[in-house]
Amino acid sequence: MSLRIARTPPLAAGLLLAATLSAPPARALDLGAPLPARTVAMRNVDGRPVTIAATRGAKGTLVLFTCNHCPWVRAWEERFVRIGNEARTRGIGMIAINSNDPSAYPEDAFDAMQERAKSHGYRFPYAEDATSEVARAFGATHTPEAYLFDAGGRLVYHGTVDDDARHPDQVRQHFLADAVAAVAQGRAVPVAETKALGCGIVLRPAAQE
Amino acid sequence: MVRPSGRARVGLALLALLALPGALGGPPRHPAPLTLVPVTARDVLSLARRPGAAATLVNVWASWCVPCRQELPELLRLARDYRGRGLRLALVSADFDSAAARACLVGLGVNGANFLKAEDDMPFIATLEPRWSGGLPATFVYDRAGRLVSFWEGRSDYARFEQAVRQAMDRGSGPKTREKT
Repeated sequence: MSLRIARTPPLAAGLLLAATLSAPPARALDLGAPLPARTVAMRNVDGRPVTIAATRGAKGTLVLFTCNHCPWVRAWEERFVRIGNEARTRGIGMIAINSNDPSAYPEDAFDAMQERAKSHGYRFPYAEDATSEVARAFGATHTPEAYLFDAGGRLVYHGTVDDDARHPDQVRQHFLADAVAAVAQGRAVPVAETKALGCGIVLRPAAQE
Repeated sequence: MVRPSGRARVGLALLALLALPGALGGPPRHPAPLTLVPVTARDVLSLARRPGAAATLVNVWASWCVPCRQELPELLRLARDYRGRGLRLALVSADFDSAAARACLVGLGVNGANFLKAEDDMPFIATLEPRWSGGLPATFVYDRAGRLVSFWEGRSDYARFEQAVRQAMDRGSGPKTREKT
């Protein structure tokens, strides 16, 4: 199967502003929803095409919307990288996705993603959602934002990494790690929906705009 | 460090507002130094319910958030334009580092009392608005009774801010309503 990777040319500031202001409010997937945008081809940091479908694990799939520039991402990064790397050894696929428009955040450009994945030990795909189509399909609004699907491809966890971004030694509730462990063991996820502040995703203009 | 209780923080926040008039973007009659008052979501809601304003616009932002920084000048212009009509603007920074928030506000010419989130994210989000995903910026507009009239996430512009404020002022004495997003 050949995959075409969508790419967006650099955007004029005016177009970006118009798209930002006119974008409808996102609605995140409901629990139980099927895994969307499975076959959308994105560019992985290794330069090759990747899809969510290709990263699915036998026991589940973890999709994390992230980026490079965000202080919340940086605060949680060591933790979600560890969770993602370990998840893959437990039969759960993992993919990190950057849907930000790099014209808004140059730090989120593809070459910076490559460097980030290398320097921080990502052992899972880190993909460029070059049309923001995947973020729209999920209703993802900010980074980091995690979506965990069970073996049947149904959403069983949506939310944040844990309850304390700034102080790893003061975390009381390991939401994402606990959810991954539960899915790996075929158990119900203990806390299925959580929230945290994060960096709003600046989507690229939709194709019809 | 002993953190003040929620009730104490309300008092601190409101005391700061009363002590430092002319803040939040409006041209102050007596310019006051910029202060960042730590607040919980309950403090913010208490402020919105406090008499003396025809509408309250709460904007949660962060200094490193580009869309937030892009819309702040629009908010400050609105605050100036509606100062005489009773608009209360409350800027709540979600910065990890208060110095960064302070530098950003100083650069925009803001003085007086402003706010810094001092609560865990989940209760802060849930108390302000359960529909809020946590993305920034986030804007909440309340009528004179402190009832939420409009809420949205993401960058906006002067026209939308003004429309929401006018709606809140118009509905100030009417039944509780919420904008569908």
